[in-house]
Amino acid sequence: MGRSFGRGSAVYLLAGLGLAATLTFAACGGGQRGAAAGDAATFKIGVITSLTGPAAAFGQAHENGYAIALGEINARGGVKGKPIELVYYDDQSRPDQAVQGVNKLIDRDGVPIVLGAYSSENTRAIVPAVTQKQVPLLMPTATADNVMDSNSPWVFRLCAGSSAYASATLDFLKTTSLPRRMAIVYENTNFGQSQADAMAQAAGPAGFEIVANEAYQASAPDYKALLQRVKAASPDIVYFASYLLDASTLMRQSAQVGLEPQAFASAGTGFAAAEFPTADKGAGAYAEYTFSVSQWLPTARWRGSAEFDAAFFKLTGTHPAYHAMQAYAALLTAAAAIDKAPDATPAAIRDAMKTIDLPDTPFGPISFDARGQNRHPVLITQVLGGQYKIVHPPDAAETQAVLPTPPWSARKGL
Amino acid sequence: MTAQAAVQAAINGLLTGGLYALVGMGLALIFGVMRIVNFAHGAFMMLGMYITFVAVGATGVSPYLMFPVAGLVMFVFGALVYYGLLSRLPAGADFMQILLTIGLSLICTDAVQLVFGADYHLLNTGLASTNLALGYGLSVNAPWVVSFAIAAAISVGLYLFVLRTMTGRAARAIAQTPAAAPLMGINVHRVQAISFAVGTAAAGVAGALLLPVFYLYPTVGDQFTEKAFVMVVLGGMGSIVGAATAGLVLGVVESLTSLYWGNQWALVVDFVLFVLVLSFKPGGIFGTERA
Repeated sequence: MGRSFGRGSAVYLLAGLGLAATLTFAACGGGQRGAAAGDAATFKIGVITSLTGPAAAFGQAHENGYAIALGEINARGGVKGKPIELVYYDDQSRPDQAVQGVNKLIDRDGVPIVLGAYSSENTRAIVPAVTQKQVPLLMPTATADNVMDSNSPWVFRLCAGSSAYASATLDFLKTTSLPRRMAIVYENTNFGQSQADAMAQAAGPAGFEIVANEAYQASAPDYKALLQRVKAASPDIVYFASYLLDASTLMRQSAQVGLEPQAFASAGTGFAAAEFPTADKGAGAYAEYTFSVSQWLPTARWRGSAEFDAAFFKLTGTHPAYHAMQAYAALLTAAAAIDKAPDATPAAIRDAMKTIDLPDTPFGPISFDARGQNRHPVLITQVLGGQYKIVHPPDAAETQAVLPTPPWSARKGL
Repeated sequence: MTAQAAVQAAINGLLTGGLYALVGMGLALIFGVMRIVNFAHGAFMMLGMYITFVAVGATGVSPYLMFPVAGLVMFVFGALVYYGLLSRLPAGADFMQILLTIGLSLICTDAVQLVFGADYHLLNTGLASTNLALGYGLSVNAPWVVSFAIAAAISVGLYLFVLRTMTGRAARAIAQTPAAAPLMGINVHRVQAISFAVGTAAAGVAGALLLPVFYLYPTVGDQFTEKAFVMVVLGGMGSIVGAATAGLVLGVVESLTSLYWGNQWALVVDFVLFVLVLSFKPGGIFGTERA
């Protein structure tokens, strides 16, 4: 008995080891960074983001974006005559930690405004906390529409929400002469379903007919039968809501089954990833001519975009995605509101934020509607020559859209 | 839906099914001979993909020539796992076996994640864009056909191994009557080790063949563990011919379900079949005989 018990324990130990290895990723790091007690010579702004955990890459992008904005603002004298000091709290990519961050930043550090978090999930978690403590929260990157559901008067969102993706795509398609039979193809998850629902609801009133609405299981090797089914509905436009791996598979296999609508459009994400048009990590030439939504690109015509791209490249050696720009723009916006407010109380800053109007930022014009949502125009991009090119709206477009999409047999480089 | 579309979907399903078959046969061999419920089968397949990926990266040779490397490494790995871990469990400790294979699966996945990162990789063969016309408006994608052909050849080899070789006969004897086999002079440990190693190698080769038409990341094998269990149950517990047939059927059924009902129903149909067969025909839908 003792013998078999010993071996049994070894098995549990082994299973436990595997489990422990998994948990290590979530457990490492933590706590806050930045000075806990600054002198009154600085103006403190709280930042919650994911510096460790699964979303750490995006938290890093936030940190770099904030750092560039901080350098610019402090170089021109800071706010209210003081340099800004950012007090970071790392939420470890966990919603409960994000809530801890609100308590710590407001109660211990006494910040009058909080920027963050990164993900929609963590951002949604901190809305009740800032509302209860009556401190304004500016969200840079949370796109899920339910982060604005509370109607809290203390929250503001800089990025466009996911429902804006469908309406922006339809606005663009309406400016073209394409026929209007649309198929929606989405992965069967919360993300895919919400994007598909938004499109299905907005398409009818915009004059588009939904001829197929197909869910699929994510990360499968073979979507050819699904695409055959879409093809049989003979859509003029196919609208995808997919992550990166499936986006590549879907485009390659669309060619195999001869799915040839006049336009491939998409709800961003996989179709907006930097890897998507590349041959070694994406769909390569199969990505050509696909449309996507985007919040921002370094090539956006808004003034300062190119300068931000250059500053980011100097800091990190890479080009920024929109998350970094949104953090940058969030700090610019917060600084503008603080300067505009008659005093540095949370309520005064909140009231100033409501009336702020920045017509000319690198993230486009910034002003908030009654619910605290920035009227951010969603960009429509098209992959042309292996690059994302902005084709809509006209004030940001860098080139004309290529339509209709050429048939697969007429394409080069496949 | 036109008949041509249905035939096309069935052909594509059959090509996918060929790879499923190889995965299922490996698991069936292990289950049949050892009664081990191997939850690490998908992870072994994933290891086969990474081995191929590294081998192709290092040598620049086509992945279609590198599958023997994946098979060989995974054969040795399987033998080590058997002698180092599985054979040390007391007889009849089913629950411990399950925990052990789950633990092993987690260790494989996390180790790969530590070494290679969580990011995914693609392997482009250059064949990816080649479609072969079959007439009547039908066509097949070249890398799928090549992978299918190799998988089919290896499946036949696996079948002949179990049916014709002494080791295969011994393995079947153990599967039929575990208590009597050692009395007939069969070295049970050795035969079980070979069976486990061959089953593991089959998973590794299936991974190598899937690589040119898919992508790889550390948890890529999980969905195949589930599918392999479905195949083993449909094919009759432990029958490798049954599992192979079930793999082909599963590929075709998934493809036709996607075409007629929509892709989100494909997995549902898989597992409805699984539950129905388990409940009403636990011997499998392809007879009760064991090969």
